[in-house]
Amino acid sequence: MTAQEIRLCGLLLQEHFGEMVEKVGTHLLRSGAQNLRTIVQETNLSVDLVKKCLCVLVQHGACCFTSGRKGPGSPTEYRACCDRILRVLRYPRYIYTAKTLYGDTGELIIEELLQRGHMTMSSTVKTVADRLTQNMEEGHSMDYSEVSSTFSKLVETHFLQRCPPVGGAGTSGSAAPAAAPAASFPECYSVPHLSLIGRGKRQLVPENGEDQRNAKRAKMDTETHGDEGIYWQVNFERFHQHFRDQAIISAVANKLDQTSSEIVRTILRMSEVTTSATAACTKPLSANEIFRSLPASYNIPRHILDQYLTLLVDDPMEFVGKTGESGGGMFVVNLHRALANLARATIESIVQERFGSRSARIFRLLLRKRHLEQKQVEDFAMIPAKEAKDMLYTLLSHNLVQLQEIPKTPDFAPSRTFYLYTVNQLPTARMLLQNCYKTVANLIERRLFETKENKRLLEKSQRIEAILASLQASGAEPEQLSEVEEMISAPEKQQLDVLKLHVNKLDSAENQVDETVFVLESYVSSTSTS
Amino acid sequence: MAEVKVKKETNLSEPAEIENRIKELCQQFPQGITDQVIQNDLPHLEPQQRAMALNKLLSLGQLDLLRNSSGLLYRLKDTQSASKMKGSDNQEKLVYQIIEDAGNKGIWSRDIRFKSNLPLTEINKILKNLESKKLIKAVKSVAASKKKVYMLYNLQPDRTVTGGAWYSDQDFESEFVEVLNQQCFKFLQSKAEAARDGKQSPMVQRNSSFATSHEVWKYICELGISKVDLSMDDIETILNTLIYDGKVEMTVIAAKEGTVGSVDGQMKLYRGVNAILQPTGLVKTPCGLCPVFHDCHEGGEISPSSCIYMSEWLDF
Repeated sequence: MTAQEIRLCGLLLQEHFGEMVEKVGTHLLRSGAQNLRTIVQETNLSVDLVKKCLCVLVQHGACCFTSGRKGPGSPTEYRACCDRILRVLRYPRYIYTAKTLYGDTGELIIEELLQRGHMTMSSTVKTVADRLTQNMEEGHSMDYSEVSSTFSKLVETHFLQRCPPVGGAGTSGSAAPAAAPAASFPECYSVPHLSLIGRGKRQLVPENGEDQRNAKRAKMDTETHGDEGIYWQVNFERFHQHFRDQAIISAVANKLDQTSSEIVRTILRMSEVTTSATAACTKPLSANEIFRSLPASYNIPRHILDQYLTLLVDDPMEFVGKTGESGGGMFVVNLHRALANLARATIESIVQERFGSRSARIFRLLLRKRHLEQKQVEDFAMIPAKEAKDMLYTLLSHNLVQLQEIPKTPDFAPSRTFYLYTVNQLPTARMLLQNCYKTVANLIERRLFETKENKRLLEKSQRIEAILASLQASGAEPEQLSEVEEMISAPEKQQLDVLKLHVNKLDSAENQVDETVFVLESYVSSTSTS
Repeated sequence: MAEVKVKKETNLSEPAEIENRIKELCQQFPQGITDQVIQNDLPHLEPQQRAMALNKLLSLGQLDLLRNSSGLLYRLKDTQSASKMKGSDNQEKLVYQIIEDAGNKGIWSRDIRFKSNLPLTEINKILKNLESKKLIKAVKSVAASKKKVYMLYNLQPDRTVTGGAWYSDQDFESEFVEVLNQQCFKFLQSKAEAARDGKQSPMVQRNSSFATSHEVWKYICELGISKVDLSMDDIETILNTLIYDGKVEMTVIAAKEGTVGSVDGQMKLYRGVNAILQPTGLVKTPCGLCPVFHDCHEGGEISPSSCIYMSEWLDF
């Protein structure tokens, strides 16, 4: 929980849940596990407010509670999870993935679950059906069964999972339920039988007062569908596996060719649900199985497939490895090694863009050869001595390169010591990860600043849009509409466009940096488990 | 009457005779004779006399004293070099010998002083003398430009001193290296592309995209962009820099001892590759390249809200 991570979490909580939740959340992140009374005292908020904030955090899985440290009788303690809050940054990517895999229905299901945290299947299906019906033409509506089938598909491929059952606080001091990995209980992925029949309801265009009443009424909907108490949440680990597979496939496509990447995609698809999230390699698959599971459009003869597999195994990147000869050869995808290679390429590209291609040459040289003296660096990289020295010192000052002293005499006298330059991949990756967090926080702050600067203008444009919409609904004449539109002058319109452009750019930049964060995070976590 | 073979007994008590005998032995064994050999040949020669004769020959400059793993060796000095030193005195001969021993790496004046135990002023005088007689020369070392090493006049300086093909007059030729770099890369890249367009089976495609270091060397020689003759090792150092640039990868295969370009039964193959990753997301933002990244804090003088780099980037 570094300072940068806490800053970023604070900004994300504020944007998505509001200031109060942010206050409670950052306080918990900074101080570790605390009980309710301490939180209330230290944040100077009322007990009710703190309780509500904690509820929000628990609902989204960002906070877990355990029985107190002093034994079963002491008050429960709450602890915030920094990782879970950082996932909020990746929500757009999850939703987009669901859309590409399962269409609009899947996209809306995932979106609803991400917004609400935990939901029952029935309420999800109903809400999604309503939303889909809203966007369909008059007279059509979405059937519940369609949505349910998409939901079941999502569960089958493990993108959704049941929330782990929570033991009551105060029971015999067992370990925090949220600490146990969610996949460890057996009914994680079993879809309950639902008696859910019907179609989505189209929402009428509401007046402001009616809207609130409708919303309140929906909440007191007391139909039961046989799945009370079974709540579902999004399985982030599975999405991360998917992203990791995508990264590996595109790397293979870049390095080799399209067909090799298709073969790797097939292998990864076949091992999707059989490989655990932290495994170093996928389960071995025989060449026969791979041949049978290749997509039908790629009808390559068997011996060509064997050649491709041999080439993949021989490639110095070591994405695919051969573990045996039975069944025509058993092949695995080396996940940890692939992640290490991707992280290495990411770090190299950062050095290249920031410091130039010659510094990148020196960096790669040091990555390969581990420890080198000043003179050797100059010789191997074929860079004149003065420039090489300059570049090495720049890299050293940015902590991307370290100096190792090997003394000839016990007194470390400079003239009698060897100074070797070296690069350690893991600490460098961690450092760059923190830089990424800081960058994202900077981008968010800039976006908030830009919107704040133009707040007056935004409010004005919103008011005018509301007036236009109401005028159109009540059937106004074109002159009235154009009169209202003219209330915004042309330069103001231009300013609004510029603002929109800026905000979009900052948003998309956040997503791009998040991709880097994903690669580096996966690499760091893969090394910690191995 | 039987012929009495009269063995001409050389009178071995004469010092001149001893010296001549030693010189004959040296001629018999051009690579040098040890003390043991002399003793075997002249078994009843006393060690004192032997030593005296050897010393005389050494001071006359007709014998060279060398040391190898088993002991001291005496070698006949060829008469041509012996005549060169006629005008010099002992000190100069000593200094000359030290410089000769250093071979083509040369020796620094301070090292000469250590080896000969002569004072600095003497050394300088002698060195100037020898240089004017055109017996030695000074060569500037590329590692430390102020240092001068001395070596015999007609010797070629070693690569470590002049830097080899990449240095011309103590300057590292970076443009030359760059040009070679790009040419090698283009050659390998075009070979890889040709292989890819061939649309044959993948194994054949990959094998034909490889080029041995020998092929690259021939290509560069034929291009004729280099004024200096480049050896295969030079080309390999250039190809290594391409590997460190991430543009090329190398494999080593076993090759038959006769095939062209193989060294010790191995051949190095090079092939152009593409990067496995596009430039990563972090560097697409100004923060990824910002020079004052660590000074940036909200509320400080450099902050995201007031960042000029961000403003420029947003207006781009």
